Amino acid sequence: MTTPEPTARAWHVPGEDLARYAARTLAAPASWSVEAHLNACAGCRTRLTALAGPALVEEGWARVDAELDAPVPGPFERLLLGARVPDHTARLLAATPALRLSWLGAVALTLAMTAVTANLAGPLVFLAVAPLLPLAGVAASFGPGIDPTHEITVVAPFHAFRLLMLRCVVVLSANTVLCAGASLALPDVGARAAGWFLPSLVLTVVALLLSPRLGSVAAVSAVGAGWAALFAGAAGALFTAGGQAALAGAVVLSAAVLARRTSAFDITRPLSGTITIRRFR
Amino acid sequence: MTVDAVTPDTGVAVRATGLTLRYGRTTALDGVSLTFGTGVTGLLGPNGAGKTTLLRILATALSPDAGQLTVFGHDLRTGPGRLAVRRRLGYLPQDPGFHSGFTVFEFVDYVAILKELDRRRERHTEVRRVVAAVGLDGQRHTRIRALSGGMRQRVALAAALVGDPALLILDEPTVGLDPEQRMRFRELFAELGDGRTVLLSTHQTEDVMSLCREVVVVDHGAVRFTGSPADLTALADGRVWTSARREPAALASWRTGTGLYRHVGDPPPGAELLAPTIEDGYLTLVDLAGGHDARPQGGDR
Repeated sequence: MTTPEPTARAWHVPGEDLARYAARTLAAPASWSVEAHLNACAGCRTRLTALAGPALVEEGWARVDAELDAPVPGPFERLLLGARVPDHTARLLAATPALRLSWLGAVALTLAMTAVTANLAGPLVFLAVAPLLPLAGVAASFGPGIDPTHEITVVAPFHAFRLLMLRCVVVLSANTVLCAGASLALPDVGARAAGWFLPSLVLTVVALLLSPRLGSVAAVSAVGAGWAALFAGAAGALFTAGGQAALAGAVVLSAAVLARRTSAFDITRPLSGTITIRRFR
Repeated sequence: MTVDAVTPDTGVAVRATGLTLRYGRTTALDGVSLTFGTGVTGLLGPNGAGKTTLLRILATALSPDAGQLTVFGHDLRTGPGRLAVRRRLGYLPQDPGFHSGFTVFEFVDYVAILKELDRRRERHTEVRRVVAAVGLDGQRHTRIRALSGGMRQRVALAAALVGDPALLILDEPTVGLDPEQRMRFRELFAELGDGRTVLLSTHQTEDVMSLCREVVVVDHGAVRFTGSPADLTALADGRVWTSARREPAALASWRTGTGLYRHVGDPPPGAELLAPTIEDGYLTLVDLAGGHDARPQGGDR
């Protein structure tokens, strides 16, 4: 078979460049130009094959084989990859129970029912319930007895607190979108319709603060009970400008304390009488 | 082959001194001190002896109430020390959990990410290597929820092997495996122990005999024995005999397939003595240490 050589009429990749390309020593942008030409020129591809050693071909096949063998990501992972989330982060998030469709569906259903009730009984019902949903989601995202791989996670070099934060941010974001959507169905109460947002942040951060000492479920239960008591005693004040400012201050304060206590998530301490729930297997 | 699996100046990979941990009023570990280096070390002990607690502390999952622990020269009481050890650690917990919606490949890939293997191509190559090492090549894309208990155990072991760790802590790795799989795992552990430090908790005394350079027996939260499997076996020298009847005075007495009884304890005069096994040595030791009906069994705290 005849192989083309560069001529004045039809340009082909010079032999020297092709050899360097085969040896992977041809720098950009010349390598880009060669690559573009190879896509369109069978003759140069044939010349390249002759130049490439069997090891390079083997390596190429191994790469193709590995790509074909790699698992196809599930729908949630694909969504994250589509949003340009790195593949390793997408896989870590895919293991979060509170990001499964079944969980998010349950949250959406709860919010829909709460919004309907709020239309009948007043917006306070919605403002009481909505902050608890992200709290529950965060509780279901991390901790012994909840995350089936918790022990492996704790002893891995990937910092447990980093993983927790990663999951919390995404869980909070997903829940915030759902709550925001549901709040549009509330009776016309103006800015008060967004009054659930700051409480949801405070409750979540305080629960995170307590979880190394109490365990996730006990911490969330305690915080939920505290929210119920606070709501029963001061529901009116919570959703005023002053109340919201106080909640914003509480968010900042609790987040600052949490930032100083990241090492508490680095190791598991024996928790006598810890309340756990069935593992998500 | 992993190198630098021990502290270069001492040859000791793990040094624990006075480890103590309490769960409420229960003392799980009471001043445990031990050292070990490369090779496979077996950890034996009755239920509730504190084996799993000890392994969890060594694996940096738990912090002791008191005592000192260094691994490869790093102090596990410090964050940087724990991180340095975690980068060289493979850990198989007693009750490994899974994200069961993942396939085998996806789950091991997940653990590889937790072990800081961020680059996709290298990570996937490593995942394929460890999955093949535990004999699950054909199940790479099977969902974990569809696997048997033994296969899940192999998935957990594959996850522990990711990154070719210098220290492997395996809590009852052969539970749920059939005899053929156990044999394969013995070969694998023996291979892993060549140049690495492997600590293996098991109730299979024959695994200890065939694999371990050293054996540690823990009971009531304290180390009762450290030595070679042959040393442990030798504790029962002259204390194992056979007869046609049960011997109530024996420490342990059971009817064998031949119809004769095998006894461990203080033999009567003129008894027909038998060569002891490592299990006989273990039973003798645990009886000397405090008196149990102490055949090794599953489940520890």
